[in-house]
Amino acid sequence: MKLLTIDDSRTIRRVISGIGAMLGYEVLEAENGDVGLRVLAEQHDEIGLVLLDWNMPGMNGLEVLKKAKADARFAHIPVMMVTTEGEKDYIIKSIQAGAIHYQTKPFSQEEMAARIMEAMGMGGV
Amino acid sequence: MNETSSETNKEKILEALRVSVVEIMSTMAMSEVIYTGRETVDNFYLSKEVCGLVRIGGAHEGMIAISCNLELLGVIVSSIVGLSVDELQRDDLLDGAAELANMVGGGMKTKAQIPGVALSPPMSIIGGDYMAEWKTLRATEILTFQMELGILQIHASL
Repeated sequence: MKLLTIDDSRTIRRVISGIGAMLGYEVLEAENGDVGLRVLAEQHDEIGLVLLDWNMPGMNGLEVLKKAKADARFAHIPVMMVTTEGEKDYIIKSIQAGAIHYQTKPFSQEEMAARIMEAMGMGGV
Repeated sequence: MNETSSETNKEKILEALRVSVVEIMSTMAMSEVIYTGRETVDNFYLSKEVCGLVRIGGAHEGMIAISCNLELLGVIVSSIVGLSVDELQRDDLLDGAAELANMVGGGMKTKAQIPGVALSPPMSIIGGDYMAEWKTLRATEILTFQMELGILQIHASL
């Protein structure tokens, strides 16, 4: 199984890739929502979790989430929001749109690893 | 907004910035950082080798910048992404400075809890010889943090 990180920050994509690799996952990277949805369309059979930023150029994370959940090919793939936006309104909108977790930045490696493992059905670390 | 509530918001933002920087450095960069104090200046000049900026809009307007030297940014980004400083490219440093500003701004927004505040996408500047100025009539608060390899500052014009 692969993870897909959709984030305009290369720094954050690298952090998530490092944590994913540590857990034994290949991590696909997309720098915006359009690219992320394209990767999902092409590789949805292999992707077990999407980690999605909120503020990005072009589509924001909520729009990407809604599009992903509206596509029968990959609506079942869990999506975790990973964002600096920590206000309640953002969290509620994300959960209502189908996100399974909401992780704010900054996060520790341990915290993110535990979240990924939980989302992938492996329990906490 | 009256002067009292504006001043209250400003203090909330400054406290949230202070807490956010410590949180980001300890969780993402695994680095110790000590807040050493705050000074007020009457302009918004940036001239250190690195700056990352986010504009605050909406209910309270202003500008926030992180500022430090290139060596310190390299160490911080290296710690965050898990690569050695030598492996980092200039683009990594630009992105790292922008993401730090983004996280500082985001942390401030969440912690200060001022309704209606919005943040711009971050911007970063890296260079050995530049001066940057934001035209404002407001004073700038400079928060200074001591790290092992140098000083990190937050400039906040609020």
